[in-house]
Parts: sequence; structure tokens; C-alpha cells
Amino acid sequence: MIGLKGTLNVIDNSGALLIECVNVLKQKVNNGWGSVGDEIVCVVKRARPVSAAAQASTTAVKVRRGDVRRAVIVRTKKAVRRPDGRFVRFDDNAAVLLNNKREMLGTRIGGVVSADLRMKGWGKIVSLAPKVV
Amino acid sequence: MKVEIDSFSGFRIYPSKGKLFVRGDSKVFRFASSKNSSLFLQRKNPRKIAWTQVYRRMHKKGVTEEVAKKRSRRTVKHQRGIVGADLAAIAAKRNQTAAIRSQQRLAAISKAKTEKKEKETKKAKPARAPVASGPRVSKQQMKGGKGGR
Repeated sequence: MIGLKGTLNVIDNSGALLIECVNVLKQKVNNGWGSVGDEIVCVVKRARPVSAAAQASTTAVKVRRGDVRRAVIVRTKKAVRRPDGRFVRFDDNAAVLLNNKREMLGTRIGGVVSADLRMKGWGKIVSLAPKVV
Repeated sequence: MKVEIDSFSGFRIYPSKGKLFVRGDSKVFRFASSKNSSLFLQRKNPRKIAWTQVYRRMHKKGVTEEVAKKRSRRTVKHQRGIVGADLAAIAAKRNQTAAIRSQQRLAAISKAKTEKKEKETKKAKPARAPVASGPRVSKQQMKGGKGGR
């Protein structure tokens, strides 16, 4: 249940650490809630420091504080119901950054992701993740 | 269909029951009911909660059926032949009666005694023989060296 002002940890290597949700993209209402596998628009609140030398040279995109990007939610503290009736709940809220074309910005994922992503069509993220629950 | 077990109490979790919790360090915990999950989140130790499987196993409650099975194991020793003494030789030696053994002992003793006597007589004679072996000649003369310059 991620909504406006909800903060999420970023678990890929795009450079951001903490993002804040600004809009949930699935519904045409402003007070919708986002869950695992939903796309959100977010603001980068805290990012890893980018050195000036790395800026121009590396091909990987590094985001900075204050950037407005898109992201997909991969873990929620609110339990999500699986088709077999189980509920799965994680210890924190986490997301992976995307660009406007639904492609990942980072190249690696560190941490566990929810298996519900696969059902919502994010198979690429699931395949990169070290552990899927 | 896989029946899981509860991480706190050891109960069985049938499909569509209970919750799955993934902790920050990616460790997975399964709970059969809200009672188990609540106690886990309160950080209670299942070893101290009397109705959990962990407690019961620790205090050995209701396990009398398992203990009775454990006595039927005994290692059987096999006799094996060694290099130099195969199984038949070992068996023959073991089955000698005491009488035969004492006879063998006496025979061995008498043999040893006779051998000893022979040795002594032999020693006495050749002890004198090599003493008289010609006039004393110095080593140098024997070797026939440079002619003593």
C-alpha cells in the first residue's frame, strides 16, 4: 500500500537510496494505493554520491537527489495475497527504478523480491534478482 | 500440495492457511496462525513456550515411542587373515591344546641349549688359530711404497 509520500528503499545499483512516491500510475485517481508490481512516479530523496570522473565515463545511469523517475514496487510491508491463499509480507518497502519505457535503470538487484512481479509482467526483474519469494 | 511447518511452533500449515513473513535479511518465516506470528513478533523464545514442538522436544515430552527403537545395533567382528598368516594358520595355532604347546616349548628350549653349547666350543677353538699368522711385517713394507725416500 504505497501512496503519496510513501518512501521506499531502492535495491538496484542505479545510485538512488531512498525514493518518495508521488503518483501511482495504475489508477486514474489520486488517492490510489500501489502494491507489488505497480508502477509509480517518484522523487529521489537520497542518493549515493556520484563522483565527477564517473559522471562522464560510465555507461550506467546514475541518478541524483531530486530526480523525478519511475519505479516498480518489488516488496511491501502490507501482505499480498497469493492465488493459493497464502499471504506474503516483507519487512520493508522496496522498489527498482525504471525509465519511461519500463526498462530498468540499474543493472543489478541486491535483495529478495516478491514473486508476484512475474505475474504482473516484470519477468526481467525477477530473473535478475538473487532471491525470489 | 506441500504442507509446510510453522517456524515458531512446529505445527503443520495447510495451503491457504497462515502467513509468510520475509525478514530484512531475506530469511523466510511461516506462521500457521496469528497466535504464532504475534508471539514471534513480540520476540518470544519458542523454547520457553510450553505448547511448541521445540519446547516439547527439549523437555522430552511424549517421545517414548522413538526411544524404544534404538537398541538393535551391534557391530559384528570378522576374523581376517593377515599377510604371512592366512585364516587357516591362525585357526590352527589357536586350536592347539596346552599339551602340544608345552611340548613345543620344551623342544625349543632343548634345541636352544644344544645350540648354545656348540657355539661355546666353536668359540674356544678358533680363538687361538688366527693369532699365529707369520712374522710381523709393517704395513708400509707390505704395501711396497715409494722406496722410503
